[in-house]
Amino acid sequence: MQRLANLSAARTDAGPTAIEVAGLSHVYDGREGKVPALEDIAMTVGAGRFVVIVGPSGCGKTSLLMMLAGLRRPSEGAILCNGRPIPSPDPERVGVVFQEASLFPWLSAQDNVEFPLALRHAPRAERRRRATDMLDLVGLQGFGGRYPHELSGGMKQRVAIARGLVQDPPVLLMDEPFAALDEQTRMTMGHELLRIWSQTLKTVVFITHSLTEAVYLADEVLVMSARPGRIIDRIAIALPRPRTYDMMATDTFGRLRDRIWQQIRTAD
Amino acid sequence: MNRLTILAVRLALLGAFLAAWEMLPRHGVLDARMLPPLGDVLRMLVDVLGRPRVQEAIGVSAGEFAVAFLIAIPLGAAIGILIAENDYLGEIFKPMLFYVFSVPKSIFLPMFILVFGIGFQQKVAYAAFSTVFIVIMSATAAVESVKADHLLVARSYGATRAQIIGRVYLPSMMPVLLEALRLSMIFNFTGVLIAEMYASRTGIGQLIANWGENFQMPQLFAGVVFLATVAIVFNESIRWLEAQCSAWRT
Ligand SMILES: Nc1ncnc2c1ncn2[C@@H]1O[C@H](COP(=O)(O)OP(=O)(O)O)[C@@H](O)[C@H]1O
Ligand SMILES: [Mg+2]
Repeated sequence: MQRLANLSAARTDAGPTAIEVAGLSHVYDGREGKVPALEDIAMTVGAGRFVVIVGPSGCGKTSLLMMLAGLRRPSEGAILCNGRPIPSPDPERVGVVFQEASLFPWLSAQDNVEFPLALRHAPRAERRRRATDMLDLVGLQGFGGRYPHELSGGMKQRVAIARGLVQDPPVLLMDEPFAALDEQTRMTMGHELLRIWSQTLKTVVFITHSLTEAVYLADEVLVMSARPGRIIDRIAIALPRPRTYDMMATDTFGRLRDRIWQQIRTAD
Repeated sequence: MNRLTILAVRLALLGAFLAAWEMLPRHGVLDARMLPPLGDVLRMLVDVLGRPRVQEAIGVSAGEFAVAFLIAIPLGAAIGILIAENDYLGEIFKPMLFYVFSVPKSIFLPMFILVFGIGFQQKVAYAAFSTVFIVIMSATAAVESVKADHLLVARSYGATRAQIIGRVYLPSMMPVLLEALRLSMIFNFTGVLIAEMYASRTGIGQLIANWGENFQMPQLFAGVVFLATVAIVFNESIRWLEAQCSAWRT
């Protein structure tokens, strides 16, 4: 554990950059006319960092994540992922975990995790092996044969994380992955995610509504304003790693959460 | 109640029904001229199925059914998918389709006779017409049953268009598609028979109408038993397929 903590501490130093966003704005041209969704977003995420984005509903968090994943092009601005633009989805560079129920109900957990590899026509044996490794990593050894409707909400999101990681992308994007879970499961899943993160050394961009979750997980929290979304604050979370549940009761934790809360309130 | 009890009760009811059909007319409780005993009907069934004229009529009906089906399914599916995928077409045509769907198709039969006569073409045209609307509506429902989230997931893993169709659209739509297949078979079957019973020189529907008009009750009931059996076998085969792939639908 001490070794992991040292490693994580080292990561907070300015190292190589995983994601770089500059001058990004987006306007939706929908049926009800033009909707400015994002305005002049600039952000830099260092490799191996855990960055959390919070902001009011509809402020453009999902839109921003889709752009980081290459699923949508911004009206303006540039995104670099590991130094290169990402004009279309590239699962070898970026894995995505969506909010809920994104597993295919007609595939077993194993086949859901293998899905990205099957798209690339990876050999069967390799698919099996990688997917099994990922299910082990997320704590689901022996559950590969289950179908999504036979899994609890938390287990489903574990499968979704395994699927996001199966091609070993350096970056993992997560859009409110635990929002549909009950509070207790949610805390457990956050803790599990930190374990997986420290084992795999990924760069994570994580969107959430929960301020507690944000402070508990993040190296840095980006606070967005209401629509059109701008980044109005960047808060470094200097709590030591590995994080423990006890930290939530500390003054530092409370102060950090209050600061984010103030920012979101004034932003609304 | 457990499944075995339910099955036993069902079989007992069926047995009672068949026994009543055999006994009541046989012993004069019911008029045997109106309802011939089951045994007589079954004997007559074997007899009529052996007649070349009946075999030919069954062949004609089956041909009409098959051709109408081969027209209605792809046509309806294409229109349905177009309406579901294109927002503008959808807004324009969806309400109209619902209106047309609610109109009983049999009132158009005289027009089909005026245009196509009373031969094979007219049966096919009318059966396809009475089937195509349910196919359009089912195809639309099938496309709309595909979850946007699932499409997004597939895209985020770099799926090609063909992969998205094969690995997301098809499996998502499969339960709805099988249900559509089942319903359109029923509509198509009904379409062929109604057209034949209304005006025709051949076909199993025409035979049945004829037997009825001539008060040949054993033949009439033999035809009814035959068609009911065919319809139930078709229906149950597709329901069995549905059950195979709907384990995950719960
Ligand atoms: N495809 C779209 N067309 C038009 N407007 C959209 C579209 N997607 C999102 N929006 C609008 O953009 C804004 C930001 O949406 P979103 O990124 O989902 O916000 P968040 O994830 O922060 O709740 C919302 O007001 C939403 O209505
Ligand atoms: Mg969102």
